[in-house]
Amino acid sequence: MTPRSISRCFALLAAAFACSFFTVLRAAIVLACGFAMGACSNNPHPEPLEKKSGDGTPWKVRYAALPEDPRSLDPQVSYDSVSRRVLEPLQECLLEYQPFKTDPYELTPCLLRALPERFERSGGGIGYKCELKAGILFHNDPCFPEGRGREVVAEDVLYAFQRIADPKVECPALSTLQDYVEGLAETFEAARKSDSFDYHKPISGLRVTGKYTFEIHLKAAYPQLLYWLAMHFTSPVAKEAVEFYDGKVHDGATREMFRFHPVGTGPFQIAEWKRNTRIRLKRNPDYRTTTFPLEGWNADQEALLRPLAGKALPFVDEVNMTVFRETIPIFLLFRQGYLDGMGVGKDAFSSLITPSRDLSGKYKERGVSLHRDIEPSTFFMALNMEDPVLGPNRKLRQALSCAFNAKSNLDIFFNSVPIVAEQLLPPGIAGYRKNFRNPYGYNLQKAKGLLAEAGYPNGKDAGGKVLEITLDTTGGSANERLMAEFDQQQFEQLGIKVKVVENPFARLMEKLDNGGFQIAAGSGWGADYPDPENFYFLYYSKNLPPAGKNHSRYQNPEFDKLFETMATMENGPAREGLALKMNDLLAEDVPHVLNMHRSTFSLTQPWAPRIQSNPLLEGGLKYAVVDYEMREQLRAQWNKKPAWPLAVLIAVFAFGAFLTLHARRTS
Amino acid sequence: MFAYLLRRLFFFIPIVFGVMLLTFVLFFVVQSPDATARRVLGQKATPKSVENWLHNRGYDKPLLINHTPGKPWHDSLFIHQMGRLATFDLGTSDVSGRPLREVFAQGVLPSLLLTLPAFLLSIALGVGLALYLVFIRNAVVDLAASLFCVALMSVPVMVYVIFGQFVVAQVLNYFPAFGFELSGWSTPKFLLLPVVLMVVSGLGADVRLFRALFLEEMGQDYIRTARAKGVSTVQVLMRHVLKNGLINLITLVVASLPFLIMGSLLLENFFGIPGLGNVLFTAIQAPDFAVVQASVFLGSLLYLGGLLLTDVCYAWADPRIRLQ
Repeated sequence: MTPRSISRCFALLAAAFACSFFTVLRAAIVLACGFAMGACSNNPHPEPLEKKSGDGTPWKVRYAALPEDPRSLDPQVSYDSVSRRVLEPLQECLLEYQPFKTDPYELTPCLLRALPERFERSGGGIGYKCELKAGILFHNDPCFPEGRGREVVAEDVLYAFQRIADPKVECPALSTLQDYVEGLAETFEAARKSDSFDYHKPISGLRVTGKYTFEIHLKAAYPQLLYWLAMHFTSPVAKEAVEFYDGKVHDGATREMFRFHPVGTGPFQIAEWKRNTRIRLKRNPDYRTTTFPLEGWNADQEALLRPLAGKALPFVDEVNMTVFRETIPIFLLFRQGYLDGMGVGKDAFSSLITPSRDLSGKYKERGVSLHRDIEPSTFFMALNMEDPVLGPNRKLRQALSCAFNAKSNLDIFFNSVPIVAEQLLPPGIAGYRKNFRNPYGYNLQKAKGLLAEAGYPNGKDAGGKVLEITLDTTGGSANERLMAEFDQQQFEQLGIKVKVVENPFARLMEKLDNGGFQIAAGSGWGADYPDPENFYFLYYSKNLPPAGKNHSRYQNPEFDKLFETMATMENGPAREGLALKMNDLLAEDVPHVLNMHRSTFSLTQPWAPRIQSNPLLEGGLKYAVVDYEMREQLRAQWNKKPAWPLAVLIAVFAFGAFLTLHARRTS
Repeated sequence: MFAYLLRRLFFFIPIVFGVMLLTFVLFFVVQSPDATARRVLGQKATPKSVENWLHNRGYDKPLLINHTPGKPWHDSLFIHQMGRLATFDLGTSDVSGRPLREVFAQGVLPSLLLTLPAFLLSIALGVGLALYLVFIRNAVVDLAASLFCVALMSVPVMVYVIFGQFVVAQVLNYFPAFGFELSGWSTPKFLLLPVVLMVVSGLGADVRLFRALFLEEMGQDYIRTARAKGVSTVQVLMRHVLKNGLINLITLVVASLPFLIMGSLLLENFFGIPGLGNVLFTAIQAPDFAVVQASVFLGSLLYLGGLLLTDVCYAWADPRIRLQ
């Protein structure tokens, strides 16, 4: 409380008593309100965990927003974007993405000493030799003797793979990894049947060969395994931590469950987690795994990043993540300087972004920076290739694709933020062609011609009957309905009739699985890892639903052959060549109507410049920087309190007093 | 009276059972367990992971009655869940796996910190203003106040929230626009604005209602007698009208007590107060049937408890009423 606010309170009190008709009670109310208004800080964040950093500099805090509480921070379970974002600074992976290389993405060692070494196994099959860095410690935690984190060893990776196969853990990666890693599927099935998991029994696909070394044995070639090693599912886990944090009562106190108390090796560890409110992470004092890269950034970032090269990570001491369920408060707090960055959503879009898709002048003056990121994802409408109308008629599918104006769709419903998808692969994925144009992109004249060739001139068949097609969408919100109407109008420009069926999300998923649709809007895929296989598998004939995700039910032996070859090849020009051929096949066969690659706008404050923009890093908080002094100065400047509301308050109470007096006189 | 209470408590059982059955049927008619799993696990979920998710939570059992040969009829999802709830075992969240007893226990205090002060202030202000308006009834101020109350009632709560957050917190910088801290003196600064907004948004309706109640009392014979005896208007209002109007007030006040515990869905969400309203809102979005079911269970018990308490309070406030 400042001397100014104290004097303000006393002035109010004196004013209250000076008026003869004010009662003591009313004065007290005025005092309380004045006190609250004068003394309250509008800063919603608690005091930082400490005042000074280990090196004597001010304690640096990074303030971020989360849309919801993380569902689980168990590395073998966490799959939703919020949980992964929180887990990323806590739990390191065996490999990680180079922060500055996004076209193409590049893997670098994290907990491993080097990238895994591929070898041919003597009995057939492929293996990868891996070696962990020595001296990496788990976070200090009560689950370890004397609370000191122990060294990470190869047995911890084996334990992680066992947890992947444990049905009770519910690891989302199991469905893919069990097809490649030896013994994973068998272990899962055995545990499922016996309803218990034997952690003493090793998994044949993961052999510990030394204190720090292990081998992963695969049933078949699967170079994408390296990407899985850059995900948390395969992160080493301390058995002591899982056993300690069992959610049960010990010595009169309930312990957390492991999924809410991760014990990792990352640059931060959880200092406080107030459910549904905030998570505070504190720098791990023993963090030694990685340092800031020495190269890789763009020339325009040289001045900012060169001084950081080779320095110890992380650069901030604390990360404060506040849970916001609504977007308006995020915008308000960002404006006040209480958040270091924010995504630009629909609510604040027109206030922040100009029609030319630039940052509005008001925010530029404040030093705010605007960033546009393209996510490795593609959204489209799935066309059912087993449908008797669409399936055998390629020209009809091509006509539908030509009739859909993706750009208008993005302009109307997405503020032109995403980019039009010209091909299945998004930018940054090997095989993506920058100058490629979808041969069946929007062209209404061409669409009408193709429709006629398909046997439906002006949308009518030979018997003069109007072609009727069903479009399945997710329904519920007004916006979804408008989008469905837009899609309908696009196709109906051809003279055909489109019947829109609105479905709850789960019902649409069911239809996609059982093939009960003709066109399904809103289909899409976000990359689990930046590899063409992770997109083309959506059209591989052995991936038909319900087991697989080939919802279009596309079956092309030539495509399958190329996929099988491409999927098992190491990255390189030959592989890219195959990916290009596959793209051409899909472009011609049109098993989908391409829509967009998702893209986002985000803002950063002048004191928190953006260091990296790799979407696969889930935030990359270990690289984040903060200019503490600038933030303090600007916050003080942006949050001044005017005095006039106090005068209004006094006037209101004076009016109340007048009413009372009036009442007494009348009585 | 004891027999009456016991009988009322006994009636709780079929009512709560009916409410739970209705909730269960409505939830799973709208969305099957399979669909719930798909929504929770997302678009990338495989049938195997969906099956595993259902199995681990017992959702792979038949919904109401087990018709499988060789299996007992009561080996169903609903009967299992009711058996659990009968022992007040709320279970665990379907999404996060957290014990719901812990989730609800953590949410009660923030909810009460928001709703209780707002409730008490609303009653105090509502009754005070209503008495004043009755006192100056038919005057210009009374008419103006009535119009103002109608205006207050007509504005949606969302408008108050946005106004409060934008003007008071953002432009004037007097209060935090968002956030919550349960630690000593820093707590009130987060609650002041939402409490004021909650009071203001409900004030119009309260004042209008209380004014009507008090005006009705003012027309009674005993008031005329009191006035004839020379009792002043203020004394009539404070000693007679307020006291006798209390019986009607009790119905409203006591019946709304249980809802205080369940929190405010909108305000908690917009101001980031981690109360039970927030918990329920998140559960509906997730969707987390376990949380929804437990909320309905607790809500129905609280509501029934509130009604019972209203009856008891009637008897206490009005000697003419006997509970039999």
